[in-house]
Amino acid sequence: MNIVTIGMFAAILLISLGITAWAARRTRTTADFYAAGKGLTAVQNGFALAGDWCSAAAFLGFTGLTALYGMDGALYAVGPLVAFCTVLLLIAEPLRNTGTYTIGDVIMYRMRQPPALAAAIIGTIVINLAYLIPQMAGGGVLIKLLFGLRYDVSVMLVGLGMIVYVAAGGMLATSWVQIVKAILMLGAGFVVLFLSLKGVGFDPLALFASAEAKAGPSFLLPGNLLKNPFDEVSLGLGYMLGLAGLPHVMTRFYTVPDATTARRSAIWVMFLAGTFFACTTIFGLAAVHYLGPEALRVGNPGGNLTLPLLAQYLGGGKGTAGGDLMLGFVSAVAVATILAVVAGLTLATSGAVANDLYVNLIRKGKVEEHQQVLVARITAVVVGVVATLLGILAEGVNVAVLVILAICIAASANFPVLALSLFWRRFNTSGVIGGMGLGLISSVGLALIGPAYLGPHALWPLVNPTVVALPLGILGAVLGSFIGRRDHEHEKRFGEVTFRIQTGLRSRS
Amino acid sequence: MADAVKSSGTEIPPDAWIAGVQGAEFKTLIDTKRRSIVPMIVIFVVGYMGLSVLAGFGRGILGIKVLGPVNLGFALIAGNYVMSWVLAVVYARISANSHDPLVKVVAAKARSSGGAR
Repeated sequence: MNIVTIGMFAAILLISLGITAWAARRTRTTADFYAAGKGLTAVQNGFALAGDWCSAAAFLGFTGLTALYGMDGALYAVGPLVAFCTVLLLIAEPLRNTGTYTIGDVIMYRMRQPPALAAAIIGTIVINLAYLIPQMAGGGVLIKLLFGLRYDVSVMLVGLGMIVYVAAGGMLATSWVQIVKAILMLGAGFVVLFLSLKGVGFDPLALFASAEAKAGPSFLLPGNLLKNPFDEVSLGLGYMLGLAGLPHVMTRFYTVPDATTARRSAIWVMFLAGTFFACTTIFGLAAVHYLGPEALRVGNPGGNLTLPLLAQYLGGGKGTAGGDLMLGFVSAVAVATILAVVAGLTLATSGAVANDLYVNLIRKGKVEEHQQVLVARITAVVVGVVATLLGILAEGVNVAVLVILAICIAASANFPVLALSLFWRRFNTSGVIGGMGLGLISSVGLALIGPAYLGPHALWPLVNPTVVALPLGILGAVLGSFIGRRDHEHEKRFGEVTFRIQTGLRSRS
Repeated sequence: MADAVKSSGTEIPPDAWIAGVQGAEFKTLIDTKRRSIVPMIVIFVVGYMGLSVLAGFGRGILGIKVLGPVNLGFALIAGNYVMSWVLAVVYARISANSHDPLVKVVAAKARSSGGAR
């Protein structure tokens, strides 16, 4: 820990709190709380999406995976960009046109039956908690490392920060915290990229050659991390379809005024985040080139410290002013990243609990506006406390399985239900329950008996079960639809749904 | 006031969608969208899943050197970045130039259909 880190950390915290105070005064209605008043521009939402999608797992993880495992790390990094092709072409505009605040809104609008909404709520909460707990644990580890605090105290600090952002400032504060964080992250990325390439005369091919020479001939081949070929396919499938089922990223499309802006913000994030993801591959190779493969393995089991170590080296090395500055900058940005992403997850989870469960499912929409905002704020606090407690309990548990699980459930349970709700006339409430049920059970079940959780005693060979769970999720959705009673009124109304998906026009009730 | 303007812009009479979905303009919109979106989906699914399948089952093929120390795998990864960005820009252009004007026509017709009620 050094004085620069503390200074940068304090500056980021003060900026975030300033944003929260400003946003808190402007957050009065539910549209303000869940969707920033639907007033963000394409560029603003593009940056905020980049902030949400580049979690610490991306920022620190992809660099580390490339440094330790070569091509598999680069495969981890490219998927999240391709994932946005699915979102851009199929999901972003229809979602913006049909929903209000949550993915549950879309399901409820299409199905108009409480059991369908209940299934969507369960999917959202399970995915968000599976995503949230590893982020909390990662934040705890990082703060513990930087400031020498106890793990539980560190997690509580992360929890406190996110509760303040979300409960006080809602989506407006969360969005601007994301935007600031995305700018800092891209800035840090640019500096590290520049220095990494400067050392090799701006010839990226030299990094490939050097990494291969230092780490061995198999380093640039696939399969160093994902030994089972089907795990590579699962990774691809999970990314390609999972992003569209991640509630905390998808709810960002509600913060813009219309579908055209939603589309433009998706294009922004593809360039912002995509460039950053590509850079993590260069960072990983640069780390092998400058630090050597042995130095990276010491005290760095998951590779998560690779980027801070590389930044320190590029700044001048350990103990130098430049090295401290770079290490402090990258570490502070990493903490800001974790705080911003957990805030987004907390907000999306409170949307599912307060808006979907309480207002729409239990009270059938009969809640006063100011009461809804109050309920949303209270829910955010409760979700934040629960996440903090789970984060503390997760100490020492292998949390990597949870991130895989979140993406796998998103692809296998949420995506089929969302896509079929938007595009399949015959789809019905039984289909929602079948898809969500089978997708969820097969993802969770197979992940828990796989090597990520049971290690060498695994009963099932794949770390990531998407390749099996996704077809099962689709099968559940289709079979459920055919088993359920055919409802011609419901199918006739699909015309209205299609009309709204394509045009954004809502029938006056 | 802003809310009133917004809702009048997106709300249509209760049964206006029936004429809307049956109208020739709406059918043109759906056909136009399908013709541009389906090929793009095929491109990225083949491009990306092809890479993922080769990463699992074609490890020797991806190891073939194509540019100095860079092998086919990294070239295809770079290709996936470029593919995604090109698709994004092409989709943005097509939707702004051909989808959005069609949506405007359909929307204007549906909104005005309330007058004859």
